[in-house]
Amino acid sequence: MALFAPPPMYADPTMAADKQHAFNPYSENGGSILAIAGADFTVIAGDTRQSEGYSIQTRYARKVWQLTDRCVIATNGFAADGNNFVKRIKQRLEWYEHAHQKQMSIKAIARLTQTMLYGNRFFPYFAYVILGGIDEDGTGAVYSFDPIGSYEREACRAAGAAQSLIQPFLDNQIYFRNQTPAPGAEPFVPGRLPLSTVLGLVIDSFTSATEREIAVGDGLELYVVMKKGRTTDDLVGSDNLIKNMQVQELGALGEGGSERTFLVSLPLKRD
Amino acid sequence: MGSPMEYNGGSVVAMVGKDCVAIATDLRLGQQSIGVAYNFDKVVAVNDKLYYGLPGLATDVYSLREHLRFRVNMYRMKEEREITPKTFTHLVSSSLYEKRFGPWFIEPVVAGLPQPTELDPHPKPFISTMDTIGCITTPKDFAVAGTAADKLYGAAEGLWEPDLEPDDLFETISQTLLNAVDRDCLSGWGAIVHVITQDKVVTRRLRSRMD
Repeated sequence: MALFAPPPMYADPTMAADKQHAFNPYSENGGSILAIAGADFTVIAGDTRQSEGYSIQTRYARKVWQLTDRCVIATNGFAADGNNFVKRIKQRLEWYEHAHQKQMSIKAIARLTQTMLYGNRFFPYFAYVILGGIDEDGTGAVYSFDPIGSYEREACRAAGAAQSLIQPFLDNQIYFRNQTPAPGAEPFVPGRLPLSTVLGLVIDSFTSATEREIAVGDGLELYVVMKKGRTTDDLVGSDNLIKNMQVQELGALGEGGSERTFLVSLPLKRD
Repeated sequence: MGSPMEYNGGSVVAMVGKDCVAIATDLRLGQQSIGVAYNFDKVVAVNDKLYYGLPGLATDVYSLREHLRFRVNMYRMKEEREITPKTFTHLVSSSLYEKRFGPWFIEPVVAGLPQPTELDPHPKPFISTMDTIGCITTPKDFAVAGTAADKLYGAAEGLWEPDLEPDDLFETISQTLLNAVDRDCLSGWGAIVHVITQDKVVTRRLRSRMD
């Protein structure tokens, strides 16, 4: 009878056990981003390392981009999704300019970001987005998003691989959490720190994160968006520069909006 | 069920200052998301120059604390002297490695000031930490452990500086702990800080968010 028994599956190499096959469309590319709003400026920063697992893909990949004369976007998570999201939002902003002969406000860009992210509700962009810039009445603004579009305006926000390292430090230094003013002293008001202090905190946040988080390092790109008519002496004055720090003004993208955007870059540890 | 290391929650941090050390802990004991007690002190004294903290699975906190109390008492009787921070660290480490294939779910943190001796009249402040199976790390700045470890690393890396005096070290370790546990669901619910100097130990309870 054994002659008529069907051969076992494993006997035939062409019929080897069913292979489980799955394509994973997502990846995680490390890095970290951070934005802090001031009274008349906003700082939006990100490191430049792009990694996958324990491997470094490049030591210089951008994740912070100038969108308009008063808005900068930073994305973190899956680099392909982040880059594509920035590309599409830039296209939408161009169409808006054609239709309305003006640049979109940061508030409107925030709502647009929400609808674009939520439009992919069931196949999300794996990207944590932070918008930073100047709002309609000239004050610094930071908007942070989750990958499907839930958003909130805040005074500061960190996201990415080092979010858990940076955010408690920012809570303490920006929101003055767990601190009490000395008797008779001015009460603490978040979002009113001078640019020099904020720059120091951003750089310290990233050098700290570089020490303890392997996905963060290589370089720091830091965008400063300044209100119309605000002095730039506290940034471009040469005595404010720390070692290896470069400051470059980015030209206006639109016409007439006299907000100014600066790109500050400096190296971080590469190990 | 999740990891035993995250079942009860809790965190400990230790820091080195100028001729002083500090160790601090939160006071929460929970069952996953449910808070059960806000008086669960995870730091105990070996003597008035040596403290250690045991964040991790609460049942193992008790077991290991009693085990170490027994071993230190036996050491004291046989040696007729107090155990040094370094020796105590190796005692904890070997106690953990003894259970290599069925470990205590604890990541201990040790902080102490060694007694001056003839050979070493000015000993350095000592801190150390271990993983669950006893791998020792002896940092010269700070040691963190528990469910808020990553937040503690970020806060400490930003706030700590070398050679702090006892009062400044107290402020630094307190701010580090409070701001880190406020971003951790499983830690918080009160805090205790010990600052150890050669002539005294200052222990303070901190006011903190209770959510």
